Amino acid sequence: MTTTSLPRPARPRRRGAGLPITRRLAPYVFVAPFVALFLAFGIYPMLFTLRLSFTNWHGAGSAEWVGWDNYTYLLTSPAFWNSLANSAVLWLLIIPVQLVIALAAAILLDNAKLRMRGFYRTAFIVPFVTPLVAVAQIWVVLFDQNYGAVNAVLGALGLPDIAWLTSSEWAKPTLALLFIWKTTGFIVVILLSGLQSIDSTVYEAAELDGAGRLRRIWSITVPLIRRTLMFAIVLQTLAVFQMFAEPFVVTQGGPYSSTTTAGLYLYNHITRGDLGTGAANSFLLVILVMALSLGMVRLLRAKD
Amino acid sequence: MHQRITRVAALGGLAALTLSLTACGPTIGDSDSTADPSKLQAPTEASPSGEITIWDREGDLFEVFDEAIAAFNEKYPDIVVHHEAVDIAAKLQNTLITGSDVPDGVFLDDQLVAGYADHLWDLSDVLAPYADDIAPQKLDVNSQDGGIYGVPFDLDPGLLFYNETALESAGIDAESIETYDDLLEAARAYKEAVPDAGPIHLEQSPFLGQLQLEMYASQLGTAITDADGELRLDSPEYEQILTFLDTVSTEGLGTRAEYLSPTDIETLDAGKQVFYPWALWFDFAPQQLLEDTSGDWRAMPLPAWTDGGARSGAMGGSSFIIPKDGENSELAWLFYEFLMFDEAGYSAVWGPNSVYPEGLNTSIPSYAPAADPSTPLFQPVDAFGGQDLWAIATEAGAEIPGGVPTPSWWAGAVDYLGNNIQLMLDGSLTPEEVIDNSTADIQANLIDRQ
Repeated sequence: MTTTSLPRPARPRRRGAGLPITRRLAPYVFVAPFVALFLAFGIYPMLFTLRLSFTNWHGAGSAEWVGWDNYTYLLTSPAFWNSLANSAVLWLLIIPVQLVIALAAAILLDNAKLRMRGFYRTAFIVPFVTPLVAVAQIWVVLFDQNYGAVNAVLGALGLPDIAWLTSSEWAKPTLALLFIWKTTGFIVVILLSGLQSIDSTVYEAAELDGAGRLRRIWSITVPLIRRTLMFAIVLQTLAVFQMFAEPFVVTQGGPYSSTTTAGLYLYNHITRGDLGTGAANSFLLVILVMALSLGMVRLLRAKD
Repeated sequence: MHQRITRVAALGGLAALTLSLTACGPTIGDSDSTADPSKLQAPTEASPSGEITIWDREGDLFEVFDEAIAAFNEKYPDIVVHHEAVDIAAKLQNTLITGSDVPDGVFLDDQLVAGYADHLWDLSDVLAPYADDIAPQKLDVNSQDGGIYGVPFDLDPGLLFYNETALESAGIDAESIETYDDLLEAARAYKEAVPDAGPIHLEQSPFLGQLQLEMYASQLGTAITDADGELRLDSPEYEQILTFLDTVSTEGLGTRAEYLSPTDIETLDAGKQVFYPWALWFDFAPQQLLEDTSGDWRAMPLPAWTDGGARSGAMGGSSFIIPKDGENSELAWLFYEFLMFDEAGYSAVWGPNSVYPEGLNTSIPSYAPAADPSTPLFQPVDAFGGQDLWAIATEAGAEIPGGVPTPSWWAGAVDYLGNNIQLMLDGSLTPEEVIDNSTADIQANLIDRQ
């Protein structure tokens, strides 16, 4: 009986083995600047904030370790939940309306036959690049209850005055309107990029099959730019839950904290020097926003 | 093996680099906490020299201070002032915490000074020669644990602004108003003559409403906290003030609007709002914003809460702080000492300049020799019919009772006290409920968390 021994498979050569050390170090050297900056300005501040969230530090002096106190304070604080509820209501007021408007505008602007297309595109993006403080002042004048142009129009139509910025019921819709007006142009640009990736023959085929305009939008456009739509929704969700500047300059969170968004509530802790609570608040907000974003990404993948 | 060594070396290098970069970050609970709160001393050199960086808010006051630098340099030619317009609210806190690029001096609202005291020089020693002549209220609001942390800038006495022409046409003599009861009576009489009027201003901004409440309280010699930081909203004084505001609201004697919002301006110009109890800085409105009634307005001291009581209280105000981490704090003190306590300095600030050709009339100095009623720094104001606002404001300012340090959480109280005042004006809360609810919320959410 003879035994035959199979040749041992050659050990795979390790990548880079045998290369001089300078060559092996090269990739690390190339990524080092980014990694160093990311660690210093990304990871380190985050860890610092995490540590801060367990202290009562007010910006000077010694910091006392307070354990979960800041988190329990926030989670049992009606004001914290109110800020989240305000952001959630604003999300509901903003996102569906904005998507419909942005989609309609993008479809219109995507039409090659549209005259003055460049003008309309510019008109949509102008609010996005206009300084918010200037817009806020215009908003305050337009929506003044007694002498604003909006109520003047309502009055001419025989409708009653509305306390747009001074009543809890109307302040959020007014703020939502500002946000929609200001940022829809940006969403239009995003959706336009999605629309332009659709092959025009798909529409031609559908038209030959007798599909009408709305049918083509619903059955072709929306499914084919679903990923772009989801991207826009995720972006705007992040923007709404971090919304700060709009309520800060228009309503200062009022009346009666009805427009104190999650972002503004967090800011208030920081400016009052309550850095520990502010840090805890920011972590709770990060967790919430991450959960929302992941949920939407999963939803998108499930549909794929 | 070599590869592992390479990785370890690379990671080690990164860690070292990261550590060196993060060394720039703030330190929680560093050695400053145990250091003695040292007091700033004035420089002793005959001709001090160096450079200072001064932060001011963007706007008219920046321009005024900018012009005053020339006068400062006449006295101190070797001190270079780098004057920067900065969004102080956004930048100061981070700058003080990190300790990098800290300015030598900063213009700051009085109610914010106490919150930064740990980062600031105690100015007790340098202010000592002037302390007896500084309005007590201004020294008090800048004090914390026995130290003084701001060089007092302006005094903002509360005055009663009134539309003399409108009142005269309704047969009301405003000069006869001496108490708040008199004011209510005058408002009722005006309302009878002009039924769609809301004669007395009721502030709708929670922040400014709380600031105005504190003006009334200052007039009564009280404030939101006592000298030990204990809340004292639950007091007869606050009950009296809130009851007055509630009466104005429930009897329809007020116009509720945010300070100088479109509604406010329109009703002022239409003669529907004729009494405006506010700080001196309201005088800006008849000068710049009111078109139809400019020239009709006058000012007088606030009514007293009781016969013979103080006729003014402080509303707002600002000071100059000197951070410990500034490079040339002593020179910054010389700058502020010149502006506030040297005749050439305060004349440059309040006297005629290119920004205010007739002088800066939206505030008065808090330093008594500068605020002499008989030596005006700004001229009579046309929008007030040539009235001598200087004399009225300085005399009213002299009546402001002393105060207490403004608590560092004051602005945070707006979410409770400021909002509750508005709820009372809505008719949803009584004055007693405002006091009870605000006391409980401020204690739990602000004081207990300090």
